[in-house]
Amino acid sequence: MWILTPEESAALVLSLKVAFWSVAASLPVAVALAWLLSRKRFPGKSLLDAIVHLPLVLPPVVVGYFLLLAFGRRGPIGAFLDEFFGISFAFSWTGAALASAVMGLPLLVRAVRQSLDAVDRGLESAAATLGASPAWVFASVTLPLILPGIVTGMVLSFARSLGEFGATITFVSNIPGETQTLPLAIYAFTQVPGGDAQALRLCILAILLSLAALMASEILVRRATARAAGRDA
Amino acid sequence: MRRVFPKAALVLAALLFLNVAQAQTITVFAAASLKNALDEAAALFERESGSRVRLSYAASSALARQIERGAPADVFISADREWMRYLEEEGFLEPGSSRELFGNRLVLVAPASRPLALEPEPGFAIVPALGEGRLAMADPRHVPAGRYARAALEKLGVWSAVEDRLAPADNVRAALALVARGETPLGIVYETDAKAEPGVMVAGRFPAASHPPIVYPVAMLKGARPGTAPFIAFLSGPQARRVFERHGFAPNP
Amino acid sequence: MLEFKAHYRAGSFTLEAAFSAGPGVTALFGRSGAGKSTVLGLIAGLARPAEGRIAVGARVLFDSAAGIDLPAHRRRVGYVFQDSRLLPHLSVRQNLLYGRFFSRSPRGGVRLSLAQVVELLGVEHLLARRPASLSGGERQRVAIGRALLAEPELLLLDEPLASLDAPRKAEILYYIERLRDEVRIPIVYVSHSIEEVVRLADTVVLLSNGRVVESGPVAQMAARIELRGFLGRFEGGAVLDAVVAEQDLESGLARLAFAGGSLYAPDVDALVGERVRVRIRARDVALATEKPRAISMLNVISGTVAEVGESAGASVDVRVEASGASLLARVTRKSVADLALAPGRPVFALVKAVAIDRHSVGYA
Repeated sequence: MWILTPEESAALVLSLKVAFWSVAASLPVAVALAWLLSRKRFPGKSLLDAIVHLPLVLPPVVVGYFLLLAFGRRGPIGAFLDEFFGISFAFSWTGAALASAVMGLPLLVRAVRQSLDAVDRGLESAAATLGASPAWVFASVTLPLILPGIVTGMVLSFARSLGEFGATITFVSNIPGETQTLPLAIYAFTQVPGGDAQALRLCILAILLSLAALMASEILVRRATARAAGRDA
Repeated sequence: MRRVFPKAALVLAALLFLNVAQAQTITVFAAASLKNALDEAAALFERESGSRVRLSYAASSALARQIERGAPADVFISADREWMRYLEEEGFLEPGSSRELFGNRLVLVAPASRPLALEPEPGFAIVPALGEGRLAMADPRHVPAGRYARAALEKLGVWSAVEDRLAPADNVRAALALVARGETPLGIVYETDAKAEPGVMVAGRFPAASHPPIVYPVAMLKGARPGTAPFIAFLSGPQARRVFERHGFAPNP
Repeated sequence: MLEFKAHYRAGSFTLEAAFSAGPGVTALFGRSGAGKSTVLGLIAGLARPAEGRIAVGARVLFDSAAGIDLPAHRRRVGYVFQDSRLLPHLSVRQNLLYGRFFSRSPRGGVRLSLAQVVELLGVEHLLARRPASLSGGERQRVAIGRALLAEPELLLLDEPLASLDAPRKAEILYYIERLRDEVRIPIVYVSHSIEEVVRLADTVVLLSNGRVVESGPVAQMAARIELRGFLGRFEGGAVLDAVVAEQDLESGLARLAFAGGSLYAPDVDALVGERVRVRIRARDVALATEKPRAISMLNVISGTVAEVGESAGASVDVRVEASGASLLARVTRKSVADLALAPGRPVFALVKAVAIDRHSVGYA
């Protein structure tokens, strides 16, 4: 009863792989955006802020559909990537990762930005007087101090990705082994009479995964916070 | 006074009847492939009978599941016999109300922007034709269109070659959309779907012998509202038949 | 050494100041809000003046006319902040060496080793600790050390003692005196405490409402009566340079020789021959027109009345000149009238030895 079928393990492994890569790929983008929004003033800033937050409030299916229009086989960006780099998102786990990355981006940006806003700018000035260029100040002072925020954001984004459904199924369909993550697998099982046992098993698995992710984040954040505050952790 | 009373009574009765008829709403769960044709037929029925018809399209398997869960439908039109039989065994059908309406054919389609000709026959070169793309079809595990397609591909001896090159969709219309958008180079849908979608062209027809006969059974569900029986009768009638034939459905074999 | 000229505006505050500072300690003195920290920020490159010129020796840091504006990290100006600003995620050792990482080759700055700085500031036992576990005084010492190790050409200290309690203040004051004496880097020291200024500074620049009111050597500045308004609760007094001539172990008194004669003071912690700086509060000085006899005051300085100040209340400051040194005495207006004190009148300035306490004697 507790052993997973090959199909179920495939869904589990795929979920973890998609979640991992979606967070890894969106991290630099999120940090850059958070920095822009926190530290810089420029025309169109509130528009950028709104666009970054759109995936939070739009129906996931809408996001998925726009991804399809832009990155699908015949979309402007999708066709370009396919022709010049051979990168294709259609029916592929890369598409599932892209969908998760887009849906999780606002969570990541928000967490990092909050951390950035809270950084003592006086410390950054002090580092500058000691000879650190702006890039070095960021790397040696700012980054370590916002690490708790980054970790929090990453966990939120990871968890969001584990639960991502609407955008994924609209963008890259429900292909077992390629795009059928846990939520999509559960959905597929609920469509078939007699799939209840499998659906339930996968639901429990999803809950356990989320719990594990939350507990890991608790530990990581606590450690990062202690370090940033200067306590001998 | 005596002359007015019968007339008034008649008018009242007529009004009552119209009112009652006006308040009739029937809910129909129908296989996705029926969309265009059934929309038209139902509109015709509404004009003539005064009843309102609410249509819900999805894969027959998904619909059966919803009915099993207690969805308030009055009529169920399936794309294969299995799902109708399933509901009958579970006791959801009004006994004796089931009848078979018409048939369909399975075709291989390609996007209209990238047409090709490929006749499905034993061992046909479907894999080279796919290239790096996938074959779109309704989910072969439970959707009728997918099941027919799988049966046909098995019969023609190419199923194992394409088994892991599929793009399974929730229903046949979703598969059709994939091909129409150019997401996949090939797809397997009903002939009626190909006819309804200008974005795809027919690359070839599957031999009727390669799969179980495609039939659309219709039945009244237990606890159906009054007004349902006339609708089912209408669907079997000549007017409806003309509409469906015009959309490409084959007369009941 | 430091040439400063700037016009700067932030909100409703305007700074329009120019001054130059030589080697040694230059104090920026004034009330809160006078613009002292602003000047430091402009020198360090943390703020930009609308126009002006800031140069350290031959190096121009900012020149609006020539379009020069060196970014902060290239100015080689060390800055010790009021709140120390140690990097919390690094150890004390890493904090100290932080600036060292960015200064590749010594370019005119004074190159000190970690060992030297650690010894100078007494922070050896703190090296492995984290800033959060240090006391305020310890943090300031590390902050000073960190600024030094970045090889600055100029050192800025922004009220480094402000957030410390009295014992800590004395402790850090001692270290800053050592710093001044042993490290040849010009220092700009911001403070609103006249005691610190008098003990540490060679030159004083007085700021008020964003403008330089006056500047000059510390001895001169301290005694100027009309400056009393800027000193707030501090009462004016004299600052005298003296040498320890004698130390009498039995009585515990030292005899300090200065231009106007000798001063006896108790508990002077210096050896014979050492130079000291003595501050004598005006309120501790009495005046007599005849040399008193049978009086407990040991210090009787003979001199001439140089200036009688304006006063609004019952008291008035009288400046007494004694062979070039100035002493300030605060007496009642009544006494000035009774004794007919006027410029030119010979007087005796009387100072209680006990009044010249430990806090009044600084080490040059």
